[in-house]
Amino acid sequence: MTDALREQVRAFILENYLFTDDKSALGLDDSLLERGIVDSTGMLEIIFFIEEQLGVKVKDEEMIPDNLDGVNKIAAFVQSKRQAA
Amino acid sequence: MTTSLVHDFDACARQTPDAPALSWHGGVWTYAELRRAVGCAQGMLVRSGITPGSRVALFVRNSPQYVASYFGVMAAGCVAVPLNVQERATVLSRQIEHADCRVVIADPQHPEWGALSAAISNIVSLIVTVDLQPGSAGCDQFCSAMGEAQPELRDLATAAPAMMIYTSGTTARPKGVVLSNGNLVANARTIAAYLKIDRSDKVLCGLPFHFSYGSSVLNSNLIAGAQLLLEDNFAFPQQTLRRMQDERVTGFPGVPSTFALLLGRCQLSDFDLSHLRYITQAGGSMPRAQIEKLRQQLPHTQVFIMYGQTEATARLSYLDPTELERKLGSVGKPLAGVEIQVRAEGRVLPAGEVGEICARGPNVMLGYWRQPELSAQVLQEGWLHTGDLGHFDDEGFLYIDGRAVDMIKVGAFRVSPQEVEEVLATFPGVQEVAVAGIPDPVLGQAIKAVIVLREGVPADLMGVKAHCRQHLANYKVPKTVEFAAALPRTASGKVQRFKLAQLN
Repeated sequence: MTDALREQVRAFILENYLFTDDKSALGLDDSLLERGIVDSTGMLEIIFFIEEQLGVKVKDEEMIPDNLDGVNKIAAFVQSKRQAA
Repeated sequence: MTTSLVHDFDACARQTPDAPALSWHGGVWTYAELRRAVGCAQGMLVRSGITPGSRVALFVRNSPQYVASYFGVMAAGCVAVPLNVQERATVLSRQIEHADCRVVIADPQHPEWGALSAAISNIVSLIVTVDLQPGSAGCDQFCSAMGEAQPELRDLATAAPAMMIYTSGTTARPKGVVLSNGNLVANARTIAAYLKIDRSDKVLCGLPFHFSYGSSVLNSNLIAGAQLLLEDNFAFPQQTLRRMQDERVTGFPGVPSTFALLLGRCQLSDFDLSHLRYITQAGGSMPRAQIEKLRQQLPHTQVFIMYGQTEATARLSYLDPTELERKLGSVGKPLAGVEIQVRAEGRVLPAGEVGEICARGPNVMLGYWRQPELSAQVLQEGWLHTGDLGHFDDEGFLYIDGRAVDMIKVGAFRVSPQEVEEVLATFPGVQEVAVAGIPDPVLGQAIKAVIVLREGVPADLMGVKAHCRQHLANYKVPKTVEFAAALPRTASGKVQRFKLAQLN
């Protein structure tokens, strides 16, 4: 997985939910839900971000914590979808 | 005869001790286990010399441990003060101080606990921490932390305070809704009766217990012997629906945003929800299109549209599912034992005329904690003045026409614009600020702030939002922030909130 993709995901979450550009505020493996960074609607916005900004369609059955609940997980999911395309 | 939630729960648990009561994170607590844990929490308070009537704050998210603590506090004759676990430590410590809580039962793993425990160390006399583990092991651990002694369940006065829920207020006027044993049990019994909840029910609940809707779901199911399946959130709707399918869930309470999330990305018809007997919807009006979509996708499921407020414990009216199509848009008729009138200027209005909804019944609160003037404003001659506007039709069905007071409804949460304004006003360089609700497709309303900066101060959007996040629960952080030269005002100088939405 590319560092650029990972940082793009982290920057989106930092800017829209933590309102900072300090990378140390969000660890790559942090759970977005357990840390209270996003709620259910925030997760929906992250899915829109993945689809619209990263160009990857998220299928219903792919909406699971292993794909979406953390920067590394999102980046790995997007990467695998791009490779499969 | 004593009437209280705890007594009803206790009777139920004695009848079906082996039945599952709470399912959470793959583990189950039976009624017997929950009853034992309730007794242990009660015993801890009695042993610690906490006198009846004392307030006990609960800083524990939805979990079996929350339920055991909540019932245990009430069993000891104390007043349970469930705190909003999404709130920030500064707000929570103010509430604990305002409620004069002597005891706090808390989850030490909560991200906000470090700041909160430091802030309240000089305020409260006893802090009890509980580890949130699922299943029987979690029950054993809870009982051991509380001490195993379980005193007999004592008599509880029907009129005595049992619970206090903080609802949208401001720093200067915190609104702690005080509910009695009688309030809670009356509302729970009525709800259990009209939903026909019984021991065969399995209800999936993702609503927070620290608010009245979630609390009413908890109360009405656990006095009727049903099983509650606790769901942490609806971030992954597919998983929620699969759980409902696999567990053969029979009841599902939600707010409009819950259904927007579930219906937005999923086809309910892809899942076998044939056991789903009913859905309840409260917490604000749901768009008709969404109700119709639910009806289409779940034709066998009864849809109960309900209305109420925390000051009425939870529920005031519901629309019988058989009337849903004929009376779409209505919140139904008053609950058994509850009277509702629509009034204006002291006069009861006839059908068709819009006025303030007023209610009387055994579920109407005792008042706001230590706010006699505020209490006197909303409780007049036994009638609760809800602040909601509505009208009856000529068949006695109630319709909601809006709020008489400014209040933003974000999902199921009521947010006071003044509370958000108070926080924004403390950001450096802010001269004045106004906050209003704007339409949002999922949440119903989102928060918009318009800020006027002092001359020469640069606009710092991220800084403003970060400041809000530091001081407010996430759902209170404005989604949109705009900087303007001036606020829209009337000739007399009053800010026109409705015009804020139009500014750009």
